[in-house]
Amino acid sequence: MRVRLLCIGWVAWLLVSPAWAADRAVSLTIYNDNLALVQDRRDIEVKDGRQRIEFQDVSAQIRPETVSLSAADISIVEQNFDFDLLTPAKLMEKAVGQEVTIVRVNPATGAETREQAQVLATNGGVVLKIGQRIEVLRDDGLPVRVIFNKVPDNLRARPTLSVSIVGTHAGTRHATLSYLTPGLGWKADYVALYNESDGKIDVQGWVTLTNSSGTTYDNAQTLLVAGSPSQVDGGFQPNNFRPPVRRQTLQQPGTESGSRERLGDYYLYPLAERTTIANLQTKQVSFLDVRGVPAEHGYEFRNRWLGTAETPQSAQSVYSFSTSAHAGLGDQLPAGILRFYMKDKRGDPQFIGESRIDHTPMGSTLSLATGDAFDVKVHAVVDKRTRLSIFDWQTEMRYELTNALPRAVVVKLRQDGLWGDSSVKAESQKSTRLNAEAAEWSVSVPANGKATVTATFETRY
Amino acid sequence: MPAYPLLVGLSLIAAGGIVHGAAIDVLAEPPSDLIVTVYRAPYRESGSIDLNYLQGFALVTETRLVRFPAGLSRVRFEGVADGIEPSSALITGLPGKVIEKNRDALLLSPSALIESAVGKRVELLRTDRKTGTTQRLPGTILSDAEGGVVFKTEEGIEALRCSGLPETFSFEPLAGLSARPTLSVEVQSPNAVTQQVTLSYLARGFDWAADYTATLSQDGEHLDLGAWVTLANSNGVAFPRAHVQVVAGKINRENGELEPIDIGGPILAQCWPRGSTSDQPMIIRLEAMDRMFKKSGDAGIMPAAAMSLAEVAVTGGRKVQQEQLGDLKLYRVPERTTLASRQSKQVRLMDQSGVPVTTIYGLDLGADAHSAGQAHRWLRTKNTTSNHLGLPLPSGGIAAFAPYKGERLLQHESALRDIAVDEEVEFDLGQSADVQVTGVVEETRVDSEHTKLLPLVPGVALRSVKVDDVERVEVSNARAAAIEFELRLRLPEGARIVRADHPLGAKNGRPIFRFKVPANQTVAVRFQTQGAGDGILRTP
Repeated sequence: MRVRLLCIGWVAWLLVSPAWAADRAVSLTIYNDNLALVQDRRDIEVKDGRQRIEFQDVSAQIRPETVSLSAADISIVEQNFDFDLLTPAKLMEKAVGQEVTIVRVNPATGAETREQAQVLATNGGVVLKIGQRIEVLRDDGLPVRVIFNKVPDNLRARPTLSVSIVGTHAGTRHATLSYLTPGLGWKADYVALYNESDGKIDVQGWVTLTNSSGTTYDNAQTLLVAGSPSQVDGGFQPNNFRPPVRRQTLQQPGTESGSRERLGDYYLYPLAERTTIANLQTKQVSFLDVRGVPAEHGYEFRNRWLGTAETPQSAQSVYSFSTSAHAGLGDQLPAGILRFYMKDKRGDPQFIGESRIDHTPMGSTLSLATGDAFDVKVHAVVDKRTRLSIFDWQTEMRYELTNALPRAVVVKLRQDGLWGDSSVKAESQKSTRLNAEAAEWSVSVPANGKATVTATFETRY
Repeated sequence: MPAYPLLVGLSLIAAGGIVHGAAIDVLAEPPSDLIVTVYRAPYRESGSIDLNYLQGFALVTETRLVRFPAGLSRVRFEGVADGIEPSSALITGLPGKVIEKNRDALLLSPSALIESAVGKRVELLRTDRKTGTTQRLPGTILSDAEGGVVFKTEEGIEALRCSGLPETFSFEPLAGLSARPTLSVEVQSPNAVTQQVTLSYLARGFDWAADYTATLSQDGEHLDLGAWVTLANSNGVAFPRAHVQVVAGKINRENGELEPIDIGGPILAQCWPRGSTSDQPMIIRLEAMDRMFKKSGDAGIMPAAAMSLAEVAVTGGRKVQQEQLGDLKLYRVPERTTLASRQSKQVRLMDQSGVPVTTIYGLDLGADAHSAGQAHRWLRTKNTTSNHLGLPLPSGGIAAFAPYKGERLLQHESALRDIAVDEEVEFDLGQSADVQVTGVVEETRVDSEHTKLLPLVPGVALRSVKVDDVERVEVSNARAAAIEFELRLRLPEGARIVRADHPLGAKNGRPIFRFKVPANQTVAVRFQTQGAGDGILRTP
């Protein structure tokens, strides 16, 4: 009974499928974390009564539990997601107990002999019953073709979604199939060209979307959402773990509102035109192009704990700028990677490093490290460590800063890891206590010169 | 200031009735000018490159001539490096606004052909081995799932190449598959125009390092320092007549997600089980298959990285020119050069002679004096102009040579980090069996007068005492010449030296003894350390 029903469904699909291609409208809402909502509007031909409808060209990575189909005057009996794939081995396996045609080809003459055979087993090799004899298929290595007369109903070239429905009356319906799928994601990519002579940057922002979902979406209306809605069944939740300590790029969170569209607290980036997102394609669309934003270039060094380094370590080269509407980029920035470029002596832009940024509100101050400075180094040394009492230590630190550049620089020298009750007892220049765990000095180092900072810390715990 | 006008502009184009699909395909000319800037593997502090796995990258800038038609066109840049990071691509010199940039990662390959032909009409070709006549049958490919191909003809449903007959397909022309990695850009041009376009992108599968050779003079007091810039390209694409430069300095690279790519593969045509009555046991076949797949899997993962390099080119004579690039050092190869595919190339970086050096023997002695053994040997100098240096030394490998009967013999190979002007440089010369260090603790004394007790819970206290160790370190010299020796001590936290029979110095905040060891003699150093010892104690 069920088999017959499925057969009817197969035929029904064959009948209605041509209409879909013409009247199909796909809209994609793509979130940051490899997640997309697909809304697939198609015209379907519905008959009276119970029937099965197959949906071709859905994402190969569809999450079938999120599928919903809506159309007028139908009721859904069940939804199936078949992932039994059509392969030669499966075809033979499903033919066990059934008749196939075998064609023996005479290697000397090329003459063909046709016989009917019954497939008995496919365990390791194919065993056939021909008339009253049993044979192993191609045991002698001679060519034998096997012809099957049909494909079993639930074997498909691609995983396929099918829905059994009951129609109340025959006719064409507008149906919307919506589902979530991984394999589609987007991020922002920024290009900043730093002009050393006037200290300004030109910034371009690109939306980069990638499709590895296994399916091409033709002519899709695309909306990008700057946000990552949490997925309940996500399994691994990286937020539950403490992320490794990173340099803080957002110095001052902004408080300005832009004019971009929002959905709840997420910013929306609609693509202006319908576009085709092919499988395994990387697509970029521009969303930001700002010139002549003031940027500050400086140096930073962090000594992670009150310890000695065997060799001098490079300071980080840091660029900071604002995203404010006044003297800034004037936009909120979706998360992505910002790449810095600078012109060389011949005028060709060269890459000088990159930094990841998180979703950044408008009006923020960003400070991005592009890499290590070759010529500006800091050598941190513990000159003396004394135990004052069981839980009380005194550490004398010396920081030697060297600058091989022909111009003076200012290095923000930061001592981290001041855990417990740590205090600065003496220092060669005044420090700023950034927080309980860090103190910072702003050190001027002359051109082709040196500077030394000393400090004595007392740590109680 | 922000870019709203762009989005508005795009909406206007859409409203103006230009249909997305109407873009005209234009193929950009091959590059007329190329600039390749090679960056080192971002996480390598020192040492040379690994030719089998180049972990650096390059910025490639290509200038190409494009004939833009009026209206919407899709300009295709064929033959970009296989290791391209498409999200870093930048295109300048276009006659209008970029609508979108695409990189299609599905390359033309046998498996991609089958995949894109699923459900489409194809021709099945079946050739008679005896007569050589080929039968052409119209058919449809039903599936290519999991490497097996099922097709349908008038006769029924069959599986490809399971019959033992020579079978294959002939395909209708297909659009959308390119032979080489291709970047395309959709652009709206107000009128037909032919102009130069600059495309730049970052690409993986490059690396470079400096390779130094240090040759000691006969007296061991000077060395000649020569260096090559060794750069390599493991991409399948060549860069002919390019301006090539390398950048020194550690650059911040985020480990961004790789964009998807499918490099394609053969038509596997997996069949149903083909066991015969004379088969080996199943387990043996499984192992054999496992080995086979492992082998093919290894070869197919990363075209740009894993291939061995075919050619080594050496460009002698002229040196690279150094310039400052922000906080980095840029070295320019003086003439245009061809960076071929899977090639490593060397260009002279420097030749400095007569650099004065001092030879130092030494050892880092750990917390207990037993951690002794062979002494290390270093050549020490300072990177200044008066020392015939005074130029930035980019990180790399260094091979030290010593003269022997008019020849130079290899002494030691080691790694060098980035060294700025005016920094101290140490070249490692390895260990010396002639200079041995032994150490013993002669005496341990607990100072009970300074014992502190800290009650924790009733009956248990933390006891803290002062512990004095008297240690003796002996340095023996089997060489026929006196040596300079540095004994660097790593004491436990809070410990210090209270007495010593040799003058005590400090280096990097650590105690150090510097002394001479005469030829064929042994020198003993005695010192007393004072530190703290803690322990949990039961109190009555």
